[in-house]
Amino acid sequence: MSERETMPYREKVAWLSMLAMLFTFGPYFTLVASGYFPEKPLPDLRQLAGYAITAAVQVTILVIGHIVLRRNNRLDSKVPADERDIAIKQRSVSAAYYVLITGMILVGVIMPFTSSGWEIVNSALFMIVLAELVQFGMVVVGYRRQAA
Amino acid sequence: MTGSINNNIRLLRFLQSEMTQAELGQRVGVTRQTIAAIEAGKYSPSLEVAFRIAAEFKLPLEQVFQWQE
Repeated sequence: MSERETMPYREKVAWLSMLAMLFTFGPYFTLVASGYFPEKPLPDLRQLAGYAITAAVQVTILVIGHIVLRRNNRLDSKVPADERDIAIKQRSVSAAYYVLITGMILVGVIMPFTSSGWEIVNSALFMIVLAELVQFGMVVVGYRRQAA
Repeated sequence: MTGSINNNIRLLRFLQSEMTQAELGQRVGVTRQTIAAIEAGKYSPSLEVAFRIAAEFKLPLEQVFQWQE
């Protein structure tokens, strides 16, 4: 086997998850911010369809991406996480937790006084997506910093 | 207090009939990339993994890892 440093399998998975999130929820939140979905009372099927399509595309990208990654990294994908993988994961989850808890306080405690309906739903979704991006980003940064 | 942990893993692998990073990783229970990161001084392993690596080369810990001020 080559001694050449290659990207760890878990870093590839983090890149996949991060890019899938950006390619799907990026356009979704751009449309939301641009007013593409006019404010209507819940459930607002047009907005719901927009979210459903976004989620479906994300899942499709992730499923295809995981199949391709596993096929191209047969050995690495079967190796269990070691202490470095676990440490990087713990740091990333810890950072994402603070983003998520801040977001949930803003959305769940403060926003109900000023907003309602899809504004709250989309704000909650945005904070979840942001927390996920922070988590995947921290995983990538963790591996890059320690890359040989 | 500043300092770093150096190691001779690359040399020791060479002396062990050019053992690969993957082989060493498999024997001590870490990934090939983690061995690469340890060799490059980018990651300091836990004491347990450090002892496992030293045991793999049948050497005391201080002959594999050294603390440099």
